Amino acid sequence: MSEDQSPILGQELLDDFFAECDEHFRTLRDRLASLERDPGAAEALDALYRGVHSLKGNAGIVGLRPLEELAHAAEDVLRRLIRSHAPVETDTAARLGEAAHRMERIVAAYRLKEALPDISDLLDRLSRETAAPAAALWQARFAPNAERDARGINVNSVRARLAALGEIVSAEPTIVAGGGILFTFTVRLRGAPADAAAWSADGVEWTEAPGRPAGASEPASASAGGATAAPSHLVRVDLSRLDELMRLVGEMVIQRSRLGDRIGRMGEAGRDLQEAMAGLGRLLRDMRGAISRMRLVPIGEIFSRLPYVVRDLERDGGKRVRLALEGEHTEIDKYLVERLREPLLHLVRNAVSHGIESARERREVGKAEEATLTLRASSRGDFVLIEVIDDGRGVDAEAVGRRAAAAGIPCPPHPDAVQLLQVLCTPGFSTREQADRASGRGVGLDVVASVVRDLGGTLALETTPGRGTTFALRLPLTLSIAETFIVSAGRHVCAVPQGFVEEIVQVPAASIRRVQGVSVAPYRTGLLPLVSLHEMFGAPASTQTASPVVVIGSDRGLTGLVVDRVHGHREVVIRPLHDPLIRVPGISGATELGDGKPILILDPPALASGPVRPREAALSA
Amino acid sequence: MTAKDTYIVFELGGAAYAVRSADVLHIDMLEHVTPVPHAAEAVEGVVFSRGQVIPAVDLRTRFGLPRQAPTPKSRLIFLHAAQRTVALIVDSAREFHALPAESIRPIEETLHGIQGNYIQGVVTLGDRLVLILDIAAVLDADAFAPALSQPARTS
Repeated sequence: MSEDQSPILGQELLDDFFAECDEHFRTLRDRLASLERDPGAAEALDALYRGVHSLKGNAGIVGLRPLEELAHAAEDVLRRLIRSHAPVETDTAARLGEAAHRMERIVAAYRLKEALPDISDLLDRLSRETAAPAAALWQARFAPNAERDARGINVNSVRARLAALGEIVSAEPTIVAGGGILFTFTVRLRGAPADAAAWSADGVEWTEAPGRPAGASEPASASAGGATAAPSHLVRVDLSRLDELMRLVGEMVIQRSRLGDRIGRMGEAGRDLQEAMAGLGRLLRDMRGAISRMRLVPIGEIFSRLPYVVRDLERDGGKRVRLALEGEHTEIDKYLVERLREPLLHLVRNAVSHGIESARERREVGKAEEATLTLRASSRGDFVLIEVIDDGRGVDAEAVGRRAAAAGIPCPPHPDAVQLLQVLCTPGFSTREQADRASGRGVGLDVVASVVRDLGGTLALETTPGRGTTFALRLPLTLSIAETFIVSAGRHVCAVPQGFVEEIVQVPAASIRRVQGVSVAPYRTGLLPLVSLHEMFGAPASTQTASPVVVIGSDRGLTGLVVDRVHGHREVVIRPLHDPLIRVPGISGATELGDGKPILILDPPALASGPVRPREAALSA
Repeated sequence: MTAKDTYIVFELGGAAYAVRSADVLHIDMLEHVTPVPHAAEAVEGVVFSRGQVIPAVDLRTRFGLPRQAPTPKSRLIFLHAAQRTVALIVDSAREFHALPAESIRPIEETLHGIQGNYIQGVVTLGDRLVLILDIAAVLDADAFAPALSQPARTS
């Protein structure tokens, strides 16, 4: 549309970029505010870290260097803060706020094609934050005496000097043997106190605060209690490290296939090795499964903030709400949890501000003044069910109809729950709400529905007038992402789940034979039945002299998938094929590689169940 | 609301058809459709709509009309009915009409060349006859001819 748009970046991509940035900036503002209220909020730090990390990645994609650099610097500061487990100092928080603000200005300027603001000053300051050693607690002991007092050195002057150096956490006088007095100041300092000799001359001796490893920082309240936490068996692992691990397993699968190829060519001499190779393959699959399980986290992680949200909303609306959390330990993939945060927040806000009546209203209709909002998670096989249940007034179908009519959204006269949900989830329906303070924040039910859909789940509504409303989110436990090999035959591109891939070998066209209507190729010591991707799509057969064959293993044995090219391996989000028209054997889902075009994901066991050739079958029938 | 529904009118093989606009999610240009092996012949493939994978049905094939290469006027009509979401490939779609319920007449069995069971009724718009589609019947998976042969679609 616009003439001057960059040839590399489509406007659509840029729009996505701006939309995503806005979202991240909103998170940053929110979390910086919560950090201000509670400088020890580890959750806020994590969210900030994720926010700037995503901003960095997005900036890289569109090539917006200053944003990338600034986000990178902020990320370094946040990483250090997260590791230190110490409350965030006001200065540091201010620096982060400044960085967030400057990043917003960069994006705004980029959007308007204006000169980008300078960031060098801020980069310097941020890098000093990272370079500065973490604050540590030190003790300064001062023994006053007449001689020092004569020189103007007394407890007050020492206190003033210490305050200039760092933050005085505590000051305790102790009576020492012989009647003297000793003041022990605990001071938070960056690095070690300089010029110990000069201090010593003035009667001040420095030592590190007892009981802490050198250089380690401590929360301010540490001196107060001696509560020793039970040793924890948990480790925190960044999700990206698990992804890296998964990638490495993928590499190993490829290496193993190369090795297998060599062993295969050794013939008889390699026979002993074959078994070891099969064992290795099983181990790799198990390893993949184990890593997948590591990605599971209790869903309670995203429930934890909701009580505060509910409390805020209660105060505004003259309502009383009891929030009941159930099934918080239900596990779900971390990837899903992150994406469910906002939708759940919205559903909870929605329930409190629209579903639940005021305390007075409830009293008048004979309900308990205190409403109950239940958040329940439960696992159902490969799915996780999350329900947001309120005992409020229910969805008023008539009111919805009136509003739909006003917004020009079609709505049947007596909508059932499915139709009602469809109207509620129509983009534009909730615009008015978005302006209102409570459910604001720019996420409408349409966004909730689309996030759930994107994750391969479904959203359902159940409502009874006067009794309450339930929104049910049904989400895949973990199946939504898979490591795959991307393969193609002609213009047909498909993804093959890595877990089923034994190896990838080159097969010369000349070695392929047809035995009883099935193509086979010599493989190891026997024959490998082949399925051709070309044939599956009814495309002309390959003319290559040798083709890559993806060897697929399942409990039905080995099958070779003949392709033109193997494009490498990718982690993809699996989108299920719900409609009966496209639920076909051999295909388990679809995904996309960033261009919006669906790519089919093959279902290896179905391929292995004997070459599927309805074309031939139908012709001969 | 009076007994007046709005309909979207589209063209297919020279005839005019209508679907209730309440059932229409959106209408897109016909761009990339990913073919699905082993699907019914009238299933051209799949497309994405708002993150969902949706079958794209070639309505010409579904109605036994000859296939036609897509033109710039070809459209995908995304329908949501009976808890399913499906896109129909039609020759063109541009019009929007409010039709009073009483203007819709049942089809006469004798009406020549029309596969009666997909049609809910007919309505006269000016000098044109518009056939109102019974979407559930059109999309009934059992009524789809199986993948007889998959001609090498070389587009």
